[in-house]
Amino acid sequence: MLSDVRRRSLLTGGAVLTLSGLGLSACSGSNSGPGDGPAEPFPTAWDDALTADVFDGLANQMGEQPGWFGKLVTDRFNLTLNVIAPNVAGGGDTLYNTRVSAGDLGDIVLTDQGQKLTELVEGGLLMDISSWYEHMESSARFDAAVQKVNEGLDGIYAIPTQVSTLKPSEPSEGIDPTFGPFVRWDVYGKVGYPEIGTLEDLLPVLKQMQDAEPTAANGKRTYALSLFADWDGNYMNNAKQPCCYYGYDEVGFVLAKADGSDFQSILDPGSLYVRVLKWFFEANQLGILDPESTTQNYDTLFSKMQAGQVLFSFWPWQGQAAFNTEANMAEGKGFMIAPLADQKIFSYGASVYGGKQVFGVGSNAEDPARGAAFIDWLYSSEGVYANSSQTMGAAGPQGLTWELNADGKPELTDFGRQVLLGEGGNVPEEWGGGSYIDGTSWLNVTTVIGNDEDPETGFPFNYKMWETYQATAANPLTEDWAGRMGGHATTMEYLQANDMLAVGAGASYVAPEDSSEISTIRNQVKAVIVESSWKMAFAKDQAEFDALLAEMQSTADGLGYQQVLEVDMANAKDQDALRKEVVAEFG
Amino acid sequence: MNTEAATAAKAPDRRDDGSRGRGRLPSQRREGFVLFLSIVPLLVLVFLFSYFPLYGWIYSLFDYRPARGLSGSEFVGLQWFTMLVSSPTQVDQIVQVMLNTLAMSFLGIAASVLPLAFAVFLNEIRATWFKNLIQTLTTLPNFISWVLVYMIAFSMFSTTGMVNGLLESIGLISEPLKFLDSDEHVWLKMALWGVWKTLGWGAILYLAAIAGIDQSLYESAKVDGAGRFSTMWHITVPQLMPTYFVLLMLAIANILNNGMEQYYVFQNAFNKDTIQVLDLYVYNIGMTGNNLSLATAISMLKSVISVVLLLSVNALSKRVRGTSLI
Repeated sequence: MLSDVRRRSLLTGGAVLTLSGLGLSACSGSNSGPGDGPAEPFPTAWDDALTADVFDGLANQMGEQPGWFGKLVTDRFNLTLNVIAPNVAGGGDTLYNTRVSAGDLGDIVLTDQGQKLTELVEGGLLMDISSWYEHMESSARFDAAVQKVNEGLDGIYAIPTQVSTLKPSEPSEGIDPTFGPFVRWDVYGKVGYPEIGTLEDLLPVLKQMQDAEPTAANGKRTYALSLFADWDGNYMNNAKQPCCYYGYDEVGFVLAKADGSDFQSILDPGSLYVRVLKWFFEANQLGILDPESTTQNYDTLFSKMQAGQVLFSFWPWQGQAAFNTEANMAEGKGFMIAPLADQKIFSYGASVYGGKQVFGVGSNAEDPARGAAFIDWLYSSEGVYANSSQTMGAAGPQGLTWELNADGKPELTDFGRQVLLGEGGNVPEEWGGGSYIDGTSWLNVTTVIGNDEDPETGFPFNYKMWETYQATAANPLTEDWAGRMGGHATTMEYLQANDMLAVGAGASYVAPEDSSEISTIRNQVKAVIVESSWKMAFAKDQAEFDALLAEMQSTADGLGYQQVLEVDMANAKDQDALRKEVVAEFG
Repeated sequence: MNTEAATAAKAPDRRDDGSRGRGRLPSQRREGFVLFLSIVPLLVLVFLFSYFPLYGWIYSLFDYRPARGLSGSEFVGLQWFTMLVSSPTQVDQIVQVMLNTLAMSFLGIAASVLPLAFAVFLNEIRATWFKNLIQTLTTLPNFISWVLVYMIAFSMFSTTGMVNGLLESIGLISEPLKFLDSDEHVWLKMALWGVWKTLGWGAILYLAAIAGIDQSLYESAKVDGAGRFSTMWHITVPQLMPTYFVLLMLAIANILNNGMEQYYVFQNAFNKDTIQVLDLYVYNIGMTGNNLSLATAISMLKSVISVVLLLSVNALSKRVRGTSLI
């Protein structure tokens, strides 16, 4: 069966080759009327070198894409990606607004669906790529999602990201959920693996852990909890995370339960959010909250985690990425989930219609055909493996980090194990040289989710889900963890087996545009909430905590919190309705 | 001021010349025209940079969305202005922001005597190398950006910074002091950072002015038996006063423009209430919050207040000094 699949893809490849041989002169450089009549197929080679501006709302690096990914794109498309990253530039939407006002956002644009997409299409900043779409075979695999995103638009302007062929009620994450109470398992073991009933019971355990390991290997003081401020949005970001341990996720100022059974206003005195703030407050009283939390940023925290100075991580992808190196795990050290007995961890369901971000081609693109071809490539197997190597645990380029073994199953190469699991390393010169990590895609976006099956191999893109990986991945840390978790191999398995997962069906709901007034009030209110939340976490005593809470509620109300809440509540309910709809339709 | 007086004195002369011979009127006109032409570039610049931007005020009447352009955006009239005063909490916020702005500006103005005093004392140092060293060291911070100043502040005053580390290691404190993340004395702390950064730079003008003081004044004072402190107090300081007042006047005109970089880098959840000045507020709400129309409305408020302040200082100056500024 496997070889069938491969033969078919070879055939299509051949067909594309022949077709493109007929018309090499694709409309490079022209941006006139791409909507009139079908465009010619993409050529296999592009003659002139081109640098394309990629406006990428998710990218965390700015400038020309270097390393092996850069070389791969250049080899394929004679294209250099010049990534423009508002995240790096800072200042929220300032860069977006400036570029939009100037009438040119970029050759390739990665933006949000909903408000921004509509606005860009209306403003004539994106190009209708429908004439090329018929040649975009890789993204056409997800035609339902593409059609859905472009619903109401006159043509195809956007290709959705994070698409998948999985059912919406299945988790889109790999072997770990996005959220979870992850602790330093070795230190947790030192204090005797105490059982944890609920969130509040975690505090004394963390206190014991901090006492058991007062200093890290580098001689610096450890703290059980360490926070950072640079991701704060609608609320204090860190305080939202434990809410997800109970199946809630945010819709503006509303915490919505995955199954639609509960909607909380975050400022409600009984809300989970306030409970978590109280939890932080108590942690600070116990002396287990890093006092530097208030002034440090994510990077500082991350390097502390790498050094072993922090014992708790809100997310697996943070703690494990920082500390679970092969060397540490061989010594039984690393972050693993320490389940709360009453947890019901929120998981994002595989979204049939894709995620929040969409790709588009800018209306002033120098060579829109090449832009479209490049976007399409990101949805091909080769593109997914290469592009999602950082974000979704895809394996990296075939032949470099992995290959098919004698049984036709994908398997990591020694180099792959070294760079993905170990200490990293330099890529061979023919792949572009430089360190592997530095050469990964700067786009920082997942096109096809890692759990999805690669049609060419029949296995997921995510190497952690390969049998060949799992067979070799066991180490003292995971063995110890699995031994205490009833023999389950992965967090996801454990959670599913114990009914501790709340999957928010992947409905790709995007909230409608806020009116300017609502969005302004929202900005004012969220500044108040974030500010007060931090003060509450570090309040001197209970009385100050209560006073700050009351003050936050009254200030927010005075600014018009209720108006925004009404909007968010309606959105949360719409989202829930849509979730139920897709589950009914796709299962 | 001297040159102004000189031109004022010459002007009537010329007019007299013109009225004497009517035949020279065209050439006088031509001369006037040439003179006018020579200021045209400046007028154009003034128009471009001071009046043309006022056109941008129109954005405050729209719900401006950059992607749609002004023509595609909805006209909302005075919505943004009414919103600013729509509830007591909104008004409180604006009042607090204005309070921060004025307080920190006045602290800055109050601190403006420090460069003067510094220059006067620096001038008394005899050893030239030491004087130059001090001057260089105090001028340098002016060229460091606020971001780097914050880095310095962070490495010295964060909870695990140098100062806390030192105090803890000699056993003076057991819990780190919160210098950066507290709302105590924020205005004062910001003013001190400002002084640290600008002291040496601000003194340069005064040092130049001191160099221009007629040495014979000092000599005659010495002959009359004046000591060092009396020459400083009775000669140097009075001689510097005109310079000081000009600079003070400029500072007052700029009172609402007390910058935002400094406050932007130093702001955090704990001091935001007291650190948020008008420009920073506009930035936080308008730019990061993606509402350029509201930002325009707030910055118009700033222009209005600036004009009011300027007029009142002008009135004050008329009453006190007998001359008006504008």
